[in-house]
Amino acid sequence: MRCLRQLFLASLWCATSWALHESDVGVVDWHSKLIGVPLHGSIHIAPIFHDDLVLTATSNNVLAALNTSDGAIVWRSIYEAADPIMLFKIHGNTVTSLSGPGGATLRAFDIPTGHLLLEKRLHNPLNGRLHEPSNLGTSVIHLERGQDDAPRVLALTNGDTIRSINSVTGETEWTWNSPDQGSLIMYSQVIVDHSTVYGIGLAKSVASYTLHVTALSISSGEVTASVNIPANIADGLSDFLGVSAGSGSAVTPCIAWLEQGAIKAALLKPDLKGQIMAIPALKYKSIVDVGLTRNGQFMAVKDDGAAQVLHLDAQTSSLRPIWEFAGSTPSKAQSESIFMGSLDANGEPRIARVYWSNAHNKAVHQTFAAQLAEGKGSTSGFTFPFETQVHGVFSQIAFDGVSTGKGNSSTRMLLTTTTGAVQLWQHDKMLWVREEALATIQVAEFVELPEKKIIGSHVGLEEETFLERITRQFSDAKNLPQYLLSFATRFATGSYATVSASAASSEDTLSRDAFGFRQVIVAATSHGKIFGIDSSNGKVMWSRVLGLGWAKKVGGTIVPVKMFVTRTVSDGETPQVMLVVQRRATNSLVDTVLFHIDALTGADARQDAPPTVGDILEGVDVISGPLIDAFMLPTANKTLAFLDEFLQVRLYPDTAASLAEFETLAPSLHFALRAGSAGQRQILGHQVTLSPDLSQFYVAYPTWSITLLAGEEIIALIPNTRGDVASVGKVLGNRSTLYKYLNPHLTAVLTSTLADSPPTCSVYLVDGVKGSIVYHASLPAAEGKCDVQAALTENWLVYQYFDDEYAGVGQSKGHHVVSVELYEGRGADEKTRSSDITSYSNKTLELNVYEQTYVMPHGITALAPTSTKFGVTTKDIIVSSRKNSVQSIPRRLLNPRRPKQKPTTEEMEEMLVQYDAVLPDDPRLILSHNYEVANVRRIVTSPSLLESTSLVFAYGLDLFFTRVAPSSTFDVLSENFNKAQLVLTVGGLVIAIMVTKPMVAKKRLKERWYQ
Amino acid sequence: MVFISLAVVLLASISLISALDIRGSVLWNDLCPDYDTLGATRVILDAGKQYGSITRNGNFSIPDVAPGTYVLSVLAHDFVFEQMRVDVSDSESIPEVRSYIFGTPLTSHSAVKLSYPVVLTPRHKNKYFMPRESFNLLGMFQNPMMMIMVLTGVMMLGMPYIMKNLDPQTLEELQGRQAKVASIQSSMQSGDFKSGLSALLAAEDEPKTALASARSPNSTTPQQRKTGKGSRRR
Repeated sequence: MRCLRQLFLASLWCATSWALHESDVGVVDWHSKLIGVPLHGSIHIAPIFHDDLVLTATSNNVLAALNTSDGAIVWRSIYEAADPIMLFKIHGNTVTSLSGPGGATLRAFDIPTGHLLLEKRLHNPLNGRLHEPSNLGTSVIHLERGQDDAPRVLALTNGDTIRSINSVTGETEWTWNSPDQGSLIMYSQVIVDHSTVYGIGLAKSVASYTLHVTALSISSGEVTASVNIPANIADGLSDFLGVSAGSGSAVTPCIAWLEQGAIKAALLKPDLKGQIMAIPALKYKSIVDVGLTRNGQFMAVKDDGAAQVLHLDAQTSSLRPIWEFAGSTPSKAQSESIFMGSLDANGEPRIARVYWSNAHNKAVHQTFAAQLAEGKGSTSGFTFPFETQVHGVFSQIAFDGVSTGKGNSSTRMLLTTTTGAVQLWQHDKMLWVREEALATIQVAEFVELPEKKIIGSHVGLEEETFLERITRQFSDAKNLPQYLLSFATRFATGSYATVSASAASSEDTLSRDAFGFRQVIVAATSHGKIFGIDSSNGKVMWSRVLGLGWAKKVGGTIVPVKMFVTRTVSDGETPQVMLVVQRRATNSLVDTVLFHIDALTGADARQDAPPTVGDILEGVDVISGPLIDAFMLPTANKTLAFLDEFLQVRLYPDTAASLAEFETLAPSLHFALRAGSAGQRQILGHQVTLSPDLSQFYVAYPTWSITLLAGEEIIALIPNTRGDVASVGKVLGNRSTLYKYLNPHLTAVLTSTLADSPPTCSVYLVDGVKGSIVYHASLPAAEGKCDVQAALTENWLVYQYFDDEYAGVGQSKGHHVVSVELYEGRGADEKTRSSDITSYSNKTLELNVYEQTYVMPHGITALAPTSTKFGVTTKDIIVSSRKNSVQSIPRRLLNPRRPKQKPTTEEMEEMLVQYDAVLPDDPRLILSHNYEVANVRRIVTSPSLLESTSLVFAYGLDLFFTRVAPSSTFDVLSENFNKAQLVLTVGGLVIAIMVTKPMVAKKRLKERWYQ
Repeated sequence: MVFISLAVVLLASISLISALDIRGSVLWNDLCPDYDTLGATRVILDAGKQYGSITRNGNFSIPDVAPGTYVLSVLAHDFVFEQMRVDVSDSESIPEVRSYIFGTPLTSHSAVKLSYPVVLTPRHKNKYFMPRESFNLLGMFQNPMMMIMVLTGVMMLGMPYIMKNLDPQTLEELQGRQAKVASIQSSMQSGDFKSGLSALLAAEDEPKTALASARSPNSTTPQQRKTGKGSRRR
């Protein structure tokens, strides 16, 4: 039955739609696989080298292995958002991670292949304690193989539980729970020697913290001793370290802490008896873990800022400073140093220091190696040309100690910069760079490219002599042979521009292809960088660092809010975009900044633009305060209007002309804004007015309000996607017409009421002028969250949710897609001219609603309708599923007027197919085919020059671009057009004529003779 | 309503106490022989808040599942697995696994009960691409339009020979009929309906006359032939 249905649908789909061929892969689409920006801030999560790979955990919650030679992703494992990676540790060929609140889940991966070896839940994430930083109270230690040869791993989770787990079978060998369940003592570190596990915790005493150590037997987990060390730790979290030195059975564990400016240490023995040592005569500010604590080394910063390396000697059991980095005191001449430790090929610790030197205008790398036998150490250094104007400042380094040998020439390190770039440096050469900021795109828009310009040299034609003209014409004719050649080849081979050909051009010039498939995708990321991406191949054409303006001195972050294409190719000249961002300075001041950018080059497009320095682009502060909303006025000048927190309207460009434009538009401006305090939200409709006694600007005032239910929160306001509407009605089979309800002020509102029982989500369609609710649906909030996605285009609303109320009417749990269409009047042939009538008319609410619900086998993370130049082509819905693929759902299947019974002839004439709740899971509808497009957050569609074809760009973790033709490419010669058949037929006819001609002539002659 | 909320609270409290892990494994087959082919895959319950990942040896475990009825589905990028219905009653008894056909009511009891631990079988591999239509000479001639064309061509070439071998009488008859039809057609085309109609009527009469006229010559032809033959003999 199901097969039959699928067969039917497949055949139906084959007949109507456009298919992907294997040869189109990589030609019509591209995919760029990303991992996100590596996490920094903790040594347990920092990138680490392992043979030819570098392993990293990223802010997109991905654990990945990159190839060090070319930067390719060898494997990646994407964690759920609710399961953040806390730490990862490498041991042999295994990497073990703890993730989720309090380290709820333990996973082990095979490093060369990325295969998941083990997944084990240690505690329920709901019981996980939330700490700041979040990975506090978690730790993983791989144990050396014991007598039974079972690889074991020790995991400290939630700050109170230590487990010994067989890392092959996942069996827990023993569990130790802190007797007070973590309420008094928060265990945060674990160190081991050959027989004992030491859990080091922090106990809160009256004024400061003290340390608490519990010793457990490594084989049984029994407590052998427990002691409270009267350390007087002020800061608590970062001021103590468990350090161990030596190997095998001669491991010397020790804890070191900072107590009122002095570093003290205590050696740990199984009975926990011993003396506290102190490093005399030196005052310290902080201690720093550089990842060498199991090799007896860590760093401490002295009171004056100088960084020292401290070493725990296993033989003498003494802790002492062995090296001080020269010039590491903070100064104006250099940036703050970043330190990172690693082991070299012989297992000896190495410490790298990287800083930016203002004096040399270069980055400096130093490697420290201790020569312990002689009781001293040495450093060797080099400078490398880091491009701080392009990539910002480095925020973290990973350092490959194995690559350090006699010289520095092969020293490798991985730099993570504040703009989200990941760079691998070998000595002073950058081997590769990955722009991982692209995994954090906030806003993206398509911008059309201009046509190729034909440059003529027709200047000063009047006073041209004959000779000059001849030379000019000859020079103009230099392209003629090339043109003739291309014409001839085109004529002979028939290689015209086809829709399945790549839109990328071999030339360097930025110009569009024949069908406008090549456009620029301008994408702004949350790492303060904006990219121009070539839509034909996914290459970054330009990138700019967004400047912080005055906040440069204090530092801050830039959050892109909206992007507008203010000038397109059709307006002449180069296309431009305006990016509106919120700048949050570290001193908590928020400003709204606008960047005006040339979309083709990324240059500053302001007329009075100051000369730029390097790659940094400076913006204009339009509001010194947060932004409420921004929109583009539908006028020729494309003026932007901003609403500040006092609802004053600011304009950009702020000229007399744009103000005059705004004045004429002001009476007809309506917009809906979120309002109200938490728990009592409202949607307020606004208009603008000028009241000179209030403000010099136009001020918005509320005109209507929709008060939501108590506890109902607004998730999103989704405006109607603007685009040409080709037909205002739908002609039915019986020759009557349903007129589309095309209210231009329609806005979809998604809300959640999670406090209710049962929790619900809602979808509203609101008229933005008078606040009337046109459509409302209440949906179940499955699993306690509102995962509703919606798209609104013309008169068509599509939304999806998960229904878990299987006991009710539907009797099925599943992902539901609801298709809603609004038509004017109460029935067919009724017309209210909804697109043109005044919104104050009573007729705006005269409409009828068709809706149908369909079920999908898998969840959806984003959905968007396709868009084409004139809106003639049917609109398919592009969705990204939780199976990490992007697929299209044909409009025919989502038509809310599909008949419930066998379609009548009239309905067949309308091409309606019988209603079937199941949307087919046809792999041929999957646009992303073999590509894994993970965690798509948004899908952007854009028209091309071909009416039939729409461009689709999906972003999230990965980037994916393709083009779709929902009604097949009706405006170009079909790809399947059989040129050979045509030629053969014509040829056959010619031969037939040649054969029959003499026959006919012979016959004629014969007739003449015998008549 | 109160009852329902009470039930929810009760259920929630139960879920804290009794929860169980749903275990299972992938049955490797020819379609999907190993972990490398399958790729990183998650097994989810309902919308995916509870999940387990498939490890290299094909096993998975979804931890801490509260009592209830769930739909178990597999998020594999390239392979299609069947969905299953899993009923967890309490932490002691093993969960009931039933086959579940997507899109059918969940509560139908006729479904086949499957073994526990759950066994997942890759059913088919996604085929994303359509083969490109290539030029095929045979296929081209199998096209009915093409066949009609070829037939007409053959007829055109072969007609004179058929005519030649045909009986002169039949030929005459045929020609007569053809001429009549042609005259009707031409008169119709020229808009002379009246004559066209009369010609048509005449054509209706014609079979009889034709039959009659055909009979008389028919009776004579053998004789004529005979005489012809006879004269030759003479």
